[in-house]
Amino acid sequence: MQWLRDMWTKEGPGIAKNAPKKTGLALFAEIFAREWWEMVKLNILFILGSLLVVTIPAAIVATARISVVLVEDRNVYLLRDFTEAFAKYFVRATLWGLAFAWAVGLGMYAITIYAAGARDNLLFAAPLTIAVFVTVFIVVIACHLMVLMVMRDMPALQLLQLAAMASLIRPMPALAALLFVAALWFLHIILYPLSVFMPATLNFSLGMFAVAFGVHRTAEMVLTVSPASGVHREQHAHDASHT
Amino acid sequence: MASISLKKLNKSYGALTVVHDIDLEIADKEFIILVGPSGCGKSTTLRMIAGLEEISNGELIIGGDMVNEVPSKDRDIAMVFQNYALYPHMTVYKNMAFGLQLRKASRDTIDQKVQEAAKILDITHLLNRKPKALSGGQRQRVALGRAMVRNPAVFLLDEPLSNLDAKLRSTMRAEITKLHKRLDATFIYVTHDQIEAMTMADRIVVMKDGHIQQVDTPQNLYDRPVNMFVAGFIGAPQMNLLPSTIERRGDGYAALFDGRELPLPAHFDKSRIEPYVGRELVIGVRPENLHELPPADITPENLAPFDAVVELAEPMGSEIHLNLTAGGRNLIARVSPRFKAMIDDGVKLVVDTTNMQLFDKETERSILY
Repeated sequence: MQWLRDMWTKEGPGIAKNAPKKTGLALFAEIFAREWWEMVKLNILFILGSLLVVTIPAAIVATARISVVLVEDRNVYLLRDFTEAFAKYFVRATLWGLAFAWAVGLGMYAITIYAAGARDNLLFAAPLTIAVFVTVFIVVIACHLMVLMVMRDMPALQLLQLAAMASLIRPMPALAALLFVAALWFLHIILYPLSVFMPATLNFSLGMFAVAFGVHRTAEMVLTVSPASGVHREQHAHDASHT
Repeated sequence: MASISLKKLNKSYGALTVVHDIDLEIADKEFIILVGPSGCGKSTTLRMIAGLEEISNGELIIGGDMVNEVPSKDRDIAMVFQNYALYPHMTVYKNMAFGLQLRKASRDTIDQKVQEAAKILDITHLLNRKPKALSGGQRQRVALGRAMVRNPAVFLLDEPLSNLDAKLRSTMRAEITKLHKRLDATFIYVTHDQIEAMTMADRIVVMKDGHIQQVDTPQNLYDRPVNMFVAGFIGAPQMNLLPSTIERRGDGYAALFDGRELPLPAHFDKSRIEPYVGRELVIGVRPENLHELPPADITPENLAPFDAVVELAEPMGSEIHLNLTAGGRNLIARVSPRFKAMIDDGVKLVVDTTNMQLFDKETERSILY
């Protein structure tokens, strides 16, 4: 067992206090390398939280809450924080989930209809394009709204306004994150059955982390400029401000 | 209030007694260091205070209450171990918070205390990292932080700097001393490194074979060792101990070592020296009291010539440690880096006898104190 003890007690390289902080993909990779095991556990929590189907929105938002904490490099007690967020956001998440599911569903329906029409008449290409754009934009708003919801408590209308503002200001990071999520699932499909454990281990949590990572900076921007910035920050949020 | 009393404290493992009847009074907010060679019982004593070792005999009183039977967790103490003992699967934050969680502290309280301790120790940027990424010094800070968050009345530190390199150890020595002043708590610190003891402690407890040899301030231990063990243990390089005989010289006395005559200073208590006239004893001369030139600030009657042969010269930068032989004995002198000496050369040094020590050859105890 000596080797096991040595593995645990061996000194590391140390962490420089004033080392330049990584940004972009390098930071994403660094956090993933550091927190991948937490993400695996988070993925399992998400799946367990989603088993009842109606709880899927709350599980998504709870996963977003943990992901934001990981992005902000703050301390997380996974099970406790997940269950607390799950309970705290259950009603809000469910209502917003229903609203966005309805909106995205409507968008998808419109896309299907206009795409079928466009095969016969090119005039339908214009509404098809608008439908695609609006649907994607709704998904981008949903991403921002979800992250903003777990970053700050605020009234629903203000939350929607800020999410829309963030989606207009910087939609690209959210789109990139959504592409990453799509790539994860694409990878799972093309590598099946080798990738059979991907959804069970990482796909949901890593996907949500990618969304939180992509959206977080914009969310902070809109929170700074909005009147809601005066509202108290989430509990424990102050320890991130030291990093 | 965290004064600590050890009264006839004993620790035995079957027939083997490793700590013998230790009596020690530690004042509130004092920084006391237990020092001694390996196996002298210093860590066992600390562990008895911590409650990690059962007390075989005697009384341990903390803050006026006898705590022999009080579990470790209820003694209002925190301990920092040599190997840090951090939980490898927990982040720094969780390592520091764990003790408070077990005490059912509220989340806000835990967070506030962890943040405060992290700020003091300058480890805020490490809070969400695992110990495996941290260097030895950073781990040590975390271990200290884990003790600090509990805000204990007494800190017990068991060789906390032993695993660090020399440079970091020096930095951390200063950090811990500052921390003691800042926290205003009682610190009991175990080390075998006498430099740590000398630089950090309010008082030092020198131990050997489970017995306390001397308890005093660092300077007093250095200037007035009560026996040959303390004299040899405190000070680096260690004190030169030379067998000599005492002779009367007019009104005073002189120690004779291998034909060399070293006059004893007039301030020595004559009544203590008189019984040793004509008898063998051991004189102690610190390496810095062997000079290449007579120092201007020492009166000539306390100086004596001293011939020796150089065996080795160790340049230390600010000084040279000369390893010498004289009268079949090995000695060390600290001389100026400008002093040129070749191996096997005879050198003429000057002994300053002002701070010379005299020990009984049989009992090894000082005859001066």
